[in-house]
Amino acid sequence: MHVVIINGSPRVQKFSNTDKIIQSFVKGLQASGSSYDLYSLSNRKEWDAARASFISHDQIIFALPLFVECVPSIMLEFLETLPTERQQPAQMSFILHGGFDEGHQLRLCERFLQSLPAQLGCTYGGCLVQGGSFLIRMRDDEKMKKTMTKKLDAYTKMGQSFVSNGNFMTTEACKFTGSEKNPRIAHLLFRLFIKRLVRKKFERYAQQWGCTRPLDDKPYLNSK
Amino acid sequence: MKMKTIVLNTIEEHAISDKISALIKGDDMEVINTSGMKIAHCMGCNLCWLKTPGICAIKDDYEGIIKKLVDAENLWLVSDTRFGFVDWRGKRVMDRIVPMLNMYVEFRDGLERHELRYHPLNFGLLYKGQADQEFLEEWSRRVASNLAGHSLGVYNIRKEGEPCM
Ligand SMILES: Cc1cc2nc3c(=O)[nH]c(=O)nc-3n(C[C@H](O)[C@H](O)[C@H](O)COP(=O)(O)O)c2cc1C
Repeated sequence: MHVVIINGSPRVQKFSNTDKIIQSFVKGLQASGSSYDLYSLSNRKEWDAARASFISHDQIIFALPLFVECVPSIMLEFLETLPTERQQPAQMSFILHGGFDEGHQLRLCERFLQSLPAQLGCTYGGCLVQGGSFLIRMRDDEKMKKTMTKKLDAYTKMGQSFVSNGNFMTTEACKFTGSEKNPRIAHLLFRLFIKRLVRKKFERYAQQWGCTRPLDDKPYLNSK
Repeated sequence: MKMKTIVLNTIEEHAISDKISALIKGDDMEVINTSGMKIAHCMGCNLCWLKTPGICAIKDDYEGIIKKLVDAENLWLVSDTRFGFVDWRGKRVMDRIVPMLNMYVEFRDGLERHELRYHPLNFGLLYKGQADQEFLEEWSRRVASNLAGHSLGVYNIRKEGEPCM
């Protein structure tokens, strides 16, 4: 199997969480004897080649981060440049992820993605859905590193599964999402203990990034 | 106090302004036509959350929009549609809204959400063309929930003489 993978994030490849997910996923593809081409929409110079590959191949995967409850605007722009009919049949599948960890947050975008292939003359190959990707880049402490390595390894397994099943329409892919929403007890624990720890963690990241103002600063409040 | 309403019109036709004023009511309303403006796609760099809180790294015409949103209670998006959803021009001005939130998280409406940097914003949508009304309503509710406000509704701008359905 040869798979064309298109990274729909606008973030430069080097820093893109989507790219990290793709790199783990393709390890699984390769272990199962498949090959792939990867294009990143963050680089405009790759758009023509990505479009040409989309037109000439029959296994296409778009990997994308959730942006404001749906597809990033840059990917919507790219989709508009694709032909709506095609000579050769093809299957479009998706790897959808987002910052927050609840599966529920990704379902509306998943619904949009389900409707998309038919509008581009393709069939739908399913959507691999998982949240909690915001911290992929933030692997500074040991515990976080472990959690994120485990997360990425799971994508490698899904790469193998994709080759053996030909799509993401499997129980395995369905279970991959994890929980749809946090239970009420988690809200309580968050308010009581976790919130403070998370704030500290973000403040530490900000410091590493060279931030000199509070994270909840309001720079434009008195700007007139 | 007057409720300030900002309308981001991402549709090129100027004839649309009559329809906007017919459909959206507000005592203090400003329509911003974005089609002639320089606005890039959000590049997902996260600097507006972690390095320069509230300030986008992209220096273009969107900074002026953010400054206006800081004083607004209601935000309307006017957008053309494609693939049953708002098109990329409409989505682009929404993806750039992230500096209005901050990095901190909390639970709102039972879901993880970011804290608002300034204050809640209500969100509404006027769209043109064929789209899935129910889908857009759900999207609009979710966007509003992200902004800690409520949905102001989703309306279709029909062409003159076009049938209702
Ligand atoms: C403009 C913007 C909007 C986002 N909107 C959402 C959202 O609605 N829900 C969510 O769970 N995560 C959201 N995220 C988080 C991203 O999906 C997440 O950080 C992802 O890992 C980014 O992948 P990338 O590094 O490949 O761009 C948003 C991020 C950005 C920059």
